[in-house]
Amino acid sequence: MTIATHLDPKYISRGELALSGLKDLAPSLSFATFLTEDGFSVVSIAGAALDSNRFASMASSTQALADAVARELKLGDNEFVIVAAEQGHVVQVRVEGHPLILAALFTDKETIGKSLAAARRTARRLNVFLSAYTGPIDLPE
Amino acid sequence: MSEHVILFVGPMGAGKTTAIRALSEIEVVSTEAANSDRDASDKPTTTVALDYGEINVNAAEKVRLYGVPGQKRFDFMWSILAERAEGALLLVNADAENPVETAIEYVKEFYALYERGGIVIGLTRADLVPESLIEEYANALADEMPDVLIPVFTADARSNADMTVLLMTLVANVELKQAVMASRALSSGRAR
Ligand SMILES: Nc1nc2c(ncn2[C@@H]2O[C@H](COP(=O)(O)OP(=O)(O)O)[C@@H](O)[C@H]2O)c(=O)[nH]1
Ligand SMILES: [Mg+2]
Repeated sequence: MTIATHLDPKYISRGELALSGLKDLAPSLSFATFLTEDGFSVVSIAGAALDSNRFASMASSTQALADAVARELKLGDNEFVIVAAEQGHVVQVRVEGHPLILAALFTDKETIGKSLAAARRTARRLNVFLSAYTGPIDLPE
Repeated sequence: MSEHVILFVGPMGAGKTTAIRALSEIEVVSTEAANSDRDASDKPTTTVALDYGEINVNAAEKVRLYGVPGQKRFDFMWSILAERAEGALLLVNADAENPVETAIEYVKEFYALYERGGIVIGLTRADLVPESLIEEYANALADEMPDVLIPVFTADARSNADMTVLLMTLVANVELKQAVMASRALSSGRAR
């Protein structure tokens, strides 16, 4: 039996670890979640007022639409997605080598460049944590 | 050139993406993502934003085909896409847990489209269940919603011919409804 990605303890524990560093990188972070490509929230931090499942579903749709545009226009792989609004911005980055996306919401106190750098770094950190992971779940099949 | 916008709705795994691919004359725009919920539907990918295809009925008529993600968690896409649509093609897989209840739920969810142009139901994957069940489904639907006129077909979402029948029935419905509404508007205009 394979475990659903969003219930996988490996992704949850390492995701939590990676997210915990994000707030230091970008203090105006108000919400962040790692989600599966198909829109399930794996783990999230901050922003209790936000419905993390809905945020994850919307992030999944947004990501897929942006990917579709890049594909249609033959631009190669889509690297990240940014939604920049009056009161804040959302940055989305894929986690390389894993079926996960980081979606993070910042208030407009942060510059978009800084938020993007922080989000990319956090996604890379998760990738590193996962390659180092040797938990009980990681037994060879 | 006149144009119609048709929305493909229904649960995950019913065949919305498959149907749009079977019908479309252009390369379909799709937003498939790795499906991590194999319990809900055992298929490798699932739609997370939309499908888009086009078909020319004749030289003067184009139909735009939009598909939604089936899962409730994507219902914000349902409202975005329903806004532009004139009618809905509701696909329900016959091998689902409760296909009749599911169909009724979706009719209620997209009732605005029924009123705007119409809904046609396609019962897919019917080859995977005993045949006698299908008539039952159609009857139960009629019992549950006696005032609502919704044609029910069994159809294979992979078949261009099957899907064309459903689509043309729906388009005819939409055109009829639009003609009736136009003539009503005209006669009430005259009365004033
Ligand atoms: N056996 C059988 N398979 C079908 C029929 N209609 C659709 N399918 C399959 O059911 C699956 C439907 O998946 P998909 O199109 O992704 O469903 P969606 O979630 O509604 O978009 C595909 O694997 C189709 O090939 C049918 O009438 N019979
Ligand atoms: Mg689909």
